[in-house]
Amino acid sequence: MEKSRFERDTWIRKTRRISTQGQVLVKTGDLVKPETVVAKGTVVNPDVRKVIIYGQLDIDPDEVERYMLKEEGDEVKKDEVIAIHRSFFGRSTRVCRSPIDGTIMSFSKSSGSVLIRGMPIAVEVKAHVPGKVVETIPGEGAVVESKGTLIQGRFGVGGETVGELVIAVARRDEALTEELITNELKGKIIVGGSIVTIDALRRAASLGVNGIVVGGLDQKDLTDFLGYEIGLGVTGKEETGLTVITTEGFGPHSMEEETFHLLKSYEGKQVSIDGSTQIRTRMLRPEVIIPS
Amino acid sequence: MDSKGKNETYLIVDIDDSLTKAVLIDRIGEDYKIMGISEAPTTVDPPTLDVTVGVERASNDLGRKTSKQIWEAKRPSRVQRFLCSSNTGGGLYMMVAGVTGMISAESAQRAALGAGALLIDVFSFSDPRPDFEMIETMRSMKPDMFLVAGGIDGGAVNQVLEMAHLIGAADMKPRFGAQFQLPAIFAGNIEARKRVLDVLSERKYAVQAVDNVRPAIERENLGPAKEAIYDSFRQHVIIHSPGYEKLASWVDEPLVPTQAAIGNILYSYSMERKANLLAVDVGGTTTDIYSVYNGVFNRSLNADIGLTYGISNIMKMAGVEKIMRWIPKEMGEREVRNIIGNMMVLQPASLTPDEVLVQQAAAREAIRLAVENHEGIASRLKGVKIVRTIADIFGQTLEPTYLDLMKTRVIIGRGKIFTQDQVSDAAIVLLDALQPEGVTEIMVDKLDVMPHLGMLLKTNPEAAKQILLREGLSRLATCVAFRGRSTKGQVTMKVKITRSDGATSGCEVRFGELKTIALGRGEKAMLEVIPRRGLDLGMGRGRTLETEVIGGKLGLILDARGRPLNVPAEKDILVRWRSSLTGEQQPSS
Repeated sequence: MEKSRFERDTWIRKTRRISTQGQVLVKTGDLVKPETVVAKGTVVNPDVRKVIIYGQLDIDPDEVERYMLKEEGDEVKKDEVIAIHRSFFGRSTRVCRSPIDGTIMSFSKSSGSVLIRGMPIAVEVKAHVPGKVVETIPGEGAVVESKGTLIQGRFGVGGETVGELVIAVARRDEALTEELITNELKGKIIVGGSIVTIDALRRAASLGVNGIVVGGLDQKDLTDFLGYEIGLGVTGKEETGLTVITTEGFGPHSMEEETFHLLKSYEGKQVSIDGSTQIRTRMLRPEVIIPS
Repeated sequence: MDSKGKNETYLIVDIDDSLTKAVLIDRIGEDYKIMGISEAPTTVDPPTLDVTVGVERASNDLGRKTSKQIWEAKRPSRVQRFLCSSNTGGGLYMMVAGVTGMISAESAQRAALGAGALLIDVFSFSDPRPDFEMIETMRSMKPDMFLVAGGIDGGAVNQVLEMAHLIGAADMKPRFGAQFQLPAIFAGNIEARKRVLDVLSERKYAVQAVDNVRPAIERENLGPAKEAIYDSFRQHVIIHSPGYEKLASWVDEPLVPTQAAIGNILYSYSMERKANLLAVDVGGTTTDIYSVYNGVFNRSLNADIGLTYGISNIMKMAGVEKIMRWIPKEMGEREVRNIIGNMMVLQPASLTPDEVLVQQAAAREAIRLAVENHEGIASRLKGVKIVRTIADIFGQTLEPTYLDLMKTRVIIGRGKIFTQDQVSDAAIVLLDALQPEGVTEIMVDKLDVMPHLGMLLKTNPEAAKQILLREGLSRLATCVAFRGRSTKGQVTMKVKITRSDGATSGCEVRFGELKTIALGRGEKAMLEVIPRRGLDLGMGRGRTLETEVIGGKLGLILDARGRPLNVPAEKDILVRWRSSLTGEQQPSS
């Protein structure tokens, strides 16, 4: 089996950007910590509601335009009246209200309806690694440079997290079992040996361990742990609260000797890990970054 | 030189995500022949970022192999004609929309798939998803192209416009390059055309309109939409990939998607043979099914179902137990799951014997899932009112799908799974997964040249057909199988074979057996099979079949395992089935 890859004492550049145009909160030359917010902004709210106005006003679709109180682009509050129809000299009034806080996204004259999109959602991106800002990306983020050791795994689940590195096994061929997950490991990044058991995964997640780096992982245990089958090799957004990285692949595999000793030599250091994997599209592999 | 005075040497290149494959075809006397085949890694991605580099490398290698000057003055030599198909970037990612899921959206779907697209989503007002979810999906899963249908000509306009507004509101950007316009083709109600184009143009889509894919409820017209997809593919999609502008200036015929070229050659073969055909193409990430029944071509695609990147998805969709049932040895669930997980994650270049067994088992399920999907695509037009007579009801003459294994004369397998392992492995995977009935010729695309021959078809149909028959298709066997089941050990078929030299022989096949009879490749023989009462070989239950059969590498296969095929729990039976094809051909008694 192909070995996991690593680079010692190398310069690591991480591009940190939000998925939208927003505000960059750092400038070139700034020193940042993993938790420093680099950029923030808002993204489009996926909540879009279709409001069929003509039905609520009891008129024909093509008549709706003249009873509209709001136009495309107008902000609206929940229950705010967006169209009104008075008849019989004002004696009968029918109104149409917005179901959410949002913005009128589009108005269709032909169907007498509007689409209202919810208010934008706030997003931010943190530095993830300690280092120096070497470049800013206008409106989107920055490039953070950090010196350290980079270890690339084979497959992972869960996103970015940081924590103190703890070697929980004595040997690289030792399984990481439930008994080895002690209370002191809360908030830590644990290194296991050949495999992590399902009970250990569950205990680590419930305890609040931030991450596990291990040689192998049974595909069945991963499925049971996540509660669903992973179909494609695209991960990173799992909501288990625990990032898991396997350095060798599925099944029991002693962690490659050099990788294990390397990790062991950094025990007690603050490390940044990311389980995100994209096998096909971008060949993104999970990684462990140990700053120098 | 051909009748028009042009050279009849062809350099044909197919480019997929990983490999660029060049084939040189020449005329020797009256015959056309493949002079050589070469491959080079595709160079559309960094660091090279120029697809022509891979084309040049493959061509130069081909030049060395064939001792011909294929490349000169930094381009393919003008001495030969240069044709090219492409499937880079994972294929042509398309979304389609219609008003009604089972009518206009389904026709749009057939047009897109028939044009070789990788369909990423279908939208309609029958869709259970709320509008916002559809908009969000459109926006997040950036397509290369959008095909909008809806309404028969002279029919509903408002709903078509409403769908156009929805697509407009999504304000989609194309997959490659947010600075480009997303091509949107409208192939719906002609009376809504102008207003739909206005709505879509407002949102800066690159719009064009063509004839309706469903001009009337009982009529489908996919040709103009398919042509428009090819045009957009060339003008808006592929041209943005690095090096394609240069490549497009070299080709003697317009570039087409690989799957469209494959579809063309399969359709042509089916028409030539006047035979119904079913082809499966199992790749690393996708599984395609092509069928031609009574002259109607259909293609369906199961994206993300394949034997490397897509293998975990087979397990997700079929269930691990469905895969395990095909493995001819005891293997624990954890072991199978780990093998599958590692195939997805590591894509090993060579496989262990156990990995081969798991991959072949997964291939059977990939094909089964893909065929299930194909049944929905290869269907009669929905929405058409059908008056059923009592005879129809009893005769089942109005089946919802064209796909009928009893009426399928030819089955073709494409993909590494059918070419890298033993011939018998390819045959048993196809037999198990498709379960052919009656008399079926089993073939594989051994040289993987169907895209090339599909490209050649337009320029020189005679050459394409000749090479397909002589070199492209490898005939594995003719299979005879009955519909129905019997009890273990009972004689189900009494077989008599009369060879071209007049020699006759015969045998009996018991229920559950899989037998082969030696019959050389291309050798013809007359076959008489008397099925047991209640079993059907396509002539009616219990009726004798008399037909001419053609031999293949495995001779003639007599499959008495019954249909539908029950997969036995006993692994030794699976081993026996497998070895009955791998073993020496049993001489007929």
